[in-house]
Amino acid sequence: MTTPTQVDALRDGDHACLTFSDAEERLDIVAAFVRDGLGQGHQVVCLTESLPPDRLSAELAWRAVPTEDCLRRGQLAVRTSDESWLAGGTLTAAKMIDLLAAQVEAARRDGYRGLRVTADMCWATRPVIAVDQLLVFEREAGRLFADGWLTAICQYDRQSFDPVTLAFATRAHPRAVAAIVYHEDPVLRICRQHSPPGIRLAGEIDFMRADVLDQALAETLRLDHHPQVNLSDLQFIDAAAAATIVRAAQSLPPDRRMTLVCRGVVQRMLALVGADDVPAVRLQVAHAEP
Amino acid sequence: MPNRDSQHAIGNGGGVSPQPPEPAVLDQRFDGNGLYALRAAVSAHAAMSGAPDHVVEDVVVIANELASNAVRHGGGNGRLLMWRNATAVHCRVIDRGPGMSTAPTTVGTHRAPPRAPGGRGLWIVRQLSHNLDVATGPEGTTVTATVLLDNVQA
Repeated sequence: MTTPTQVDALRDGDHACLTFSDAEERLDIVAAFVRDGLGQGHQVVCLTESLPPDRLSAELAWRAVPTEDCLRRGQLAVRTSDESWLAGGTLTAAKMIDLLAAQVEAARRDGYRGLRVTADMCWATRPVIAVDQLLVFEREAGRLFADGWLTAICQYDRQSFDPVTLAFATRAHPRAVAAIVYHEDPVLRICRQHSPPGIRLAGEIDFMRADVLDQALAETLRLDHHPQVNLSDLQFIDAAAAATIVRAAQSLPPDRRMTLVCRGVVQRMLALVGADDVPAVRLQVAHAEP
Repeated sequence: MPNRDSQHAIGNGGGVSPQPPEPAVLDQRFDGNGLYALRAAVSAHAAMSGAPDHVVEDVVVIANELASNAVRHGGGNGRLLMWRNATAVHCRVIDRGPGMSTAPTTVGTHRAPPRAPGGRGLWIVRQLSHNLDVATGPEGTTVTATVLLDNVQA
């Protein structure tokens, strides 16, 4: 198995596998991949399955991807698997490769500098579709990536695939992408967020973990001019941890700001420790679960 | 300065005994590694006692801050008792630490600036509770917070 790389370290021509069990993490990595591709003048095609196309578009827009403009001018396309892979009935590995090759040619013709594809692969678990064709595809697809024109992330939901298929799919990809995890235990997870850049917390945090929060905040303050601290999946924060975040925001010079995405009791706690009085803080109320 | 001579109590609680006047819906010991389990238990038992969601949320925050104080300043562990009557949910945290160095009438009455390393727990508890009793001395500290149920006059 390859050592996972961060999404912003992917190079043109990479064929990468993203195995995930956290919906937020998947959407963050997909958003960063789409954003970087659009920024480099690539055409980007998102094949979605677990979310309908309009929901995925909304999720990308929420994550700072210029979705609306790019959809309108055709630089970005968001489609279901039924509209793409599965259109016209039975799917074989050969047909998938032909479809991708045609898409590459179309992007070239339309003057784009490359093609990025990201696909939610969970359609392959439907009873009518043979997973073995998918595995043949992942193995044979290598030649499409050879000239660096096509870059792809295949998304495998760990909860949808059996471990044997997952292990095979992972081996069939030359690269794997993953988020940097700063801290993970059964109660709390702190990881890097790529789009918008910052950190994301999930679970519950109190003063016992304020030190790992401090380290993650220090990293985002070092890397990101306007860091986002995404607390939308955080179910609880105590006063000490909330004050740790507010202190970090207070340390920013006047030209920088920190956006706190939160809701419910977390939002109330931040207000109680004085987040509203810190000029650098921007509060953003989290939207519903993806 | 620490008051080593006597127990102090404020609010309308007067002398505070560790046992609640009503049967406890929760009686749980905790240490620093048990705060997550304590929050889950407080949340579940407060909800089961019929308290509305926003009261449950406040009681969880209060219980957690009081328990955190016991862990950090009150000897590393403590005991939480929760009970309810017709008008309110009550949450009491008892520790055997060295007692508070601030007079119980003034502790937590001002918000600590964000740069201060600590001292905001009791302030937050005061914001969320209707009444707060603090009894502290060299034998330990007992803090009791009262959260009123909806649309009920004390």
